[in-house]
Amino acid sequence: MATENAADDSAKLQILKDALYEEIRQHGSETRLFTQKDLLDLNIIPNNNVMLLVKVVQGLCNDKLLVGTTNHHAGLAWRWRSREEAKKYLSLPNDETMMVYSIIDEAGADGIWNRTIKNKLNMHESVVKNCIKYLESKGYITAMKNVEHPNKKMYIKASLRPSERATGGPWFTEGELDTAFIQELEGIVFEYIKTKSAYRGSQPQPASAPKRGAIVGELRGTKRAAADITNDDSTAAPSSRNSKSFRTVFLPMPAGYKHYPTVAEIAKFIHDTGITNNTTLGEADIQQLVDVLHYDGLIEPVRVNRRKGYRVTRAMRQDTVPFHKRQKDREAGIGLDQPLVVGAEPLSNALTEAPCGRCPVFDLCEEGGPVSPSNCVYFTKWLDLEDVATAAAPVASLPP
Amino acid sequence: MQVTKPVAELCTLLVDELHGELPSRIFSTLVNKGRSTLPQLAQYTSMTPRQLRHGLAVLVQHNLLYHHLDPGAEFAFYEANVEHAYNLVRTGKILEMVDTSFGPAAKDVMQSLLLSGQTRIGDLLAAYQAKIEQANKKVGTNDTEEFDGEANGVNDDSKNEPVVKSTAHLNSILCRLIEAELIDVVHDKTFESPADVLKIVEKEVMDKYFPNGVKGNKAKAEFQQRIAEGLRKVRDESKSLKRKLEQNGSAAKRRKLFSGLGVATNGSGAQQDEEMDPALDPKQVIRVNYEKCLVDLRNRRLVQFATDMFGETTAYVYGILLKLLTKDIPRCRLDPVLDSVDDDDDDDSKKKGPGVVTTDQILDNLKTSVDLSLGIGKAERHQISSRAANKVQTHPPKKKRLIAEAEVDGEASEDEKEDDESSEGSDYDSNYEETKPNGASGINGANGVTHERRMDRPTQLRQHLMLLAESTQNFVRHCGPNEWTVDFEPVMKALREAELDSVIERTSGRQGLRLVRILRAKGKLDEKALPNVALMRKSELQQKMLEMQTAGFVHVQEVPRDVKADVKKSFFLWYCDVEKSLSRLLETSYVTMLHCLQVLEALRRKEKDVLQTTKRTDVRGREKDAMRKEYYERYARFLACERKLFAQVMRLDDLVSVLRDF
Ligand code: SF4
Repeated sequence: MATENAADDSAKLQILKDALYEEIRQHGSETRLFTQKDLLDLNIIPNNNVMLLVKVVQGLCNDKLLVGTTNHHAGLAWRWRSREEAKKYLSLPNDETMMVYSIIDEAGADGIWNRTIKNKLNMHESVVKNCIKYLESKGYITAMKNVEHPNKKMYIKASLRPSERATGGPWFTEGELDTAFIQELEGIVFEYIKTKSAYRGSQPQPASAPKRGAIVGELRGTKRAAADITNDDSTAAPSSRNSKSFRTVFLPMPAGYKHYPTVAEIAKFIHDTGITNNTTLGEADIQQLVDVLHYDGLIEPVRVNRRKGYRVTRAMRQDTVPFHKRQKDREAGIGLDQPLVVGAEPLSNALTEAPCGRCPVFDLCEEGGPVSPSNCVYFTKWLDLEDVATAAAPVASLPP
Repeated sequence: MQVTKPVAELCTLLVDELHGELPSRIFSTLVNKGRSTLPQLAQYTSMTPRQLRHGLAVLVQHNLLYHHLDPGAEFAFYEANVEHAYNLVRTGKILEMVDTSFGPAAKDVMQSLLLSGQTRIGDLLAAYQAKIEQANKKVGTNDTEEFDGEANGVNDDSKNEPVVKSTAHLNSILCRLIEAELIDVVHDKTFESPADVLKIVEKEVMDKYFPNGVKGNKAKAEFQQRIAEGLRKVRDESKSLKRKLEQNGSAAKRRKLFSGLGVATNGSGAQQDEEMDPALDPKQVIRVNYEKCLVDLRNRRLVQFATDMFGETTAYVYGILLKLLTKDIPRCRLDPVLDSVDDDDDDDSKKKGPGVVTTDQILDNLKTSVDLSLGIGKAERHQISSRAANKVQTHPPKKKRLIAEAEVDGEASEDEKEDDESSEGSDYDSNYEETKPNGASGINGANGVTHERRMDRPTQLRQHLMLLAESTQNFVRHCGPNEWTVDFEPVMKALREAELDSVIERTSGRQGLRLVRILRAKGKLDEKALPNVALMRKSELQQKMLEMQTAGFVHVQEVPRDVKADVKKSFFLWYCDVEKSLSRLLETSYVTMLHCLQVLEALRRKEKDVLQTTKRTDVRGREKDAMRKEYYERYARFLACERKLFAQVMRLDDLVSVLRDF
């Protein structure tokens, strides 16, 4: 009878446990904390019997279906755990492993450093190591990288995705900034903005680029006439109607154009292309990318009425061949002589062309010093005098 | 202009390049030692008084000196005019500019003037008279007249016909150049340095109005005003010829002159014009007015900038606008005191800035051959907000503009859309969508009637202007309905930044530029915050920052975390000071120019024997035949290098102009 009674009791208890567990699950997520009062108010335990409740809760805790915590607001409280998880806990061979697993579990998506585990649990390193090894072999946890602490060995529950903070967001792959991915995406975003913000049209070929600066006339004596120096950047009128040859170019849109792509549109486009299928990019991420393009001087924001869109800068100078096509060509060995970068070639001025503008010894260079214009090797090269110099004086780089 | 060591050396070399060693030595001494008298100079340079006088004469002739004689003093002080010495490098550019705007004949005159320095009109007339006569007699080379040979040098080789056909022609050209202020009159105060002029004026004002000294705030203000007036009077003296011309010439005539913008009137039709020009006083001494030349050079640079940003057609329109706008602007950077109240200005619109130009004025000056439909993309009418495009900005942009509009990204809100539609939809028939012109036109009538695809010309013109007005560089301001103006300060700031950016991008790469522009936008930024914004790897970023710090593009500030100021714990804030970077860039440009010229000097030394040969009279002019092959090749190679170096120096001057003068 006694055994029957006990069996009856335990069966009853089991029913109550199941009922309470299911009811708890109805009332909130795994993170919600339930106090004793909350649990009683669920009206599962007959007569608000606290003793019985304690018994039931104890049972659930043993089954790892409930986790008790002490919360400084509410005192003792519980949260529930899924049955699969509970099963995992129950399958663990010993308490140490269970403690290690639970501490990793609690760390959630941020992961936890193995040192921290050791310190928190006050366990011997080898024990922790063994536990981790076991858990890893079972596939319950995995090692992860945190961008903020790239050198720390971190662990996370295998079922979780590392948090943004840990991964550094969509731009990181395994803790490293994925520059290849970023570049690829920049190219695509830029191409999109370019084609959406400029008009593809054909224009007459402009006259050959004016040559700048040339000396006209022969020398007269050592001092040439001042006038011999001319600068020939003509402001001649641009191509007229009768020009024959045409070329395809991008043209700026008329003022007031209302359809410059916005960040939302760009984000939608990126989403629709499905390029980023294993990374989710929000509008904020795209904004970041667009900002970078803006800082690079490739695009600029335009505000028409209250709509903030982006347009390509220097539309006429843009490549009319799409970027990805250029990339393909390169793979096939075409156009290898040109650098593969998005956007127009940067403007240049005299300083970037003269050797001094890029000279590593600029600050030291002075007539009479160890490096001086009169023995400058860079200028010799720039003026195509290399062969002459070496032929005439073997040690051309030394002062005479 | 700050005279740093490279500037001083550069100017000395330029003087040497154009006027020979003797003047250059004196010039260099004056730059280094400051104001000096003749005996002092003799002491510094150990030259004979004869040599000195000759050298000084050359320098004075070309306006490279100031001199000042205190009343009663025995010796005059000489002082180097570094600005003008630097201007020597612009000779070629100025000639080129005159060539395109006034034609080859005007260029020829300008060239003579640049070569001979300040000249009496009578002398100039005589010189040209001689040249014309010689040409008429069809005598071979004309090496006899001093500046004749050189002045006409460029054209010499091809044909002997002089570009200036008669003295009347010359007179007319001079009139035109004077009216354009590219040439002005030399007067007794031209050679006083600005500081001396100020002193003289101050003294005059003191003697005349304040014999008992300046007392009280009111008197002080009046004193300042009188001085400004006095200075203005001095400045206006050099415009005396222009004023006379304006009084003489009929209004209709003047209009004719200006309407010929960019077209030289040296054809047959110009004949009567010449007769209408009053003969200039042969005793007047004239010289090139660099200040005004710079205004025109600035226009050209801005047109180039617009070409880089938009395209040729838009830039062409911009060029015409600039030309009309700057017709009466005497200098690039207005003096805040001197230019505040210009009492002899004929209309008041100029008082605060460059005035305005109307769409019609621009239209009248566009070449008919230019196709304005080029250079701008097409869009359906409903894709354009004419309200936004036509936005009028009556006031120049403030230094720091508050964010007036709320930041709303994405679609315009509903009420705004309605606004747009109502402002442009009334006369707009949706059936026309296929064939309708794509104007953001404010002039509605024409569009509604025609089914033509092409817009009418004024509409096309407006499109270009509105595009310029919408630009982030502030090329143009739409300051009233169909009125346009340019705020030079912001657009020049944009240009300077663009120059800086291209140097950064070319030397530190696109990522370098990215970092600099981030700092420019965000102000000071902690090193740790940068990688996230720039989407760059930390290590790469740090390296780039250090590299750019050395180059002077970015600057760093260390902020200690606590009183102990432990370096390891300090914050490092990066920032970029554009002004600092720009002045460093300017200095680098000077040094680079200097290096180019020094390289040239070195080359000359190296090829001395060859160059000596070319000086021989039997070789000159027929170097190819007279010289040994090997020698000639070396000579040709030297010429090529020289050309390249000079070109580089002038391109560097483009940069210097932008950074310093425009
Ligand atoms: S070494 Fe040559 S390139 Fe370098 S600063 Fe001197 S002259 Fe210029």
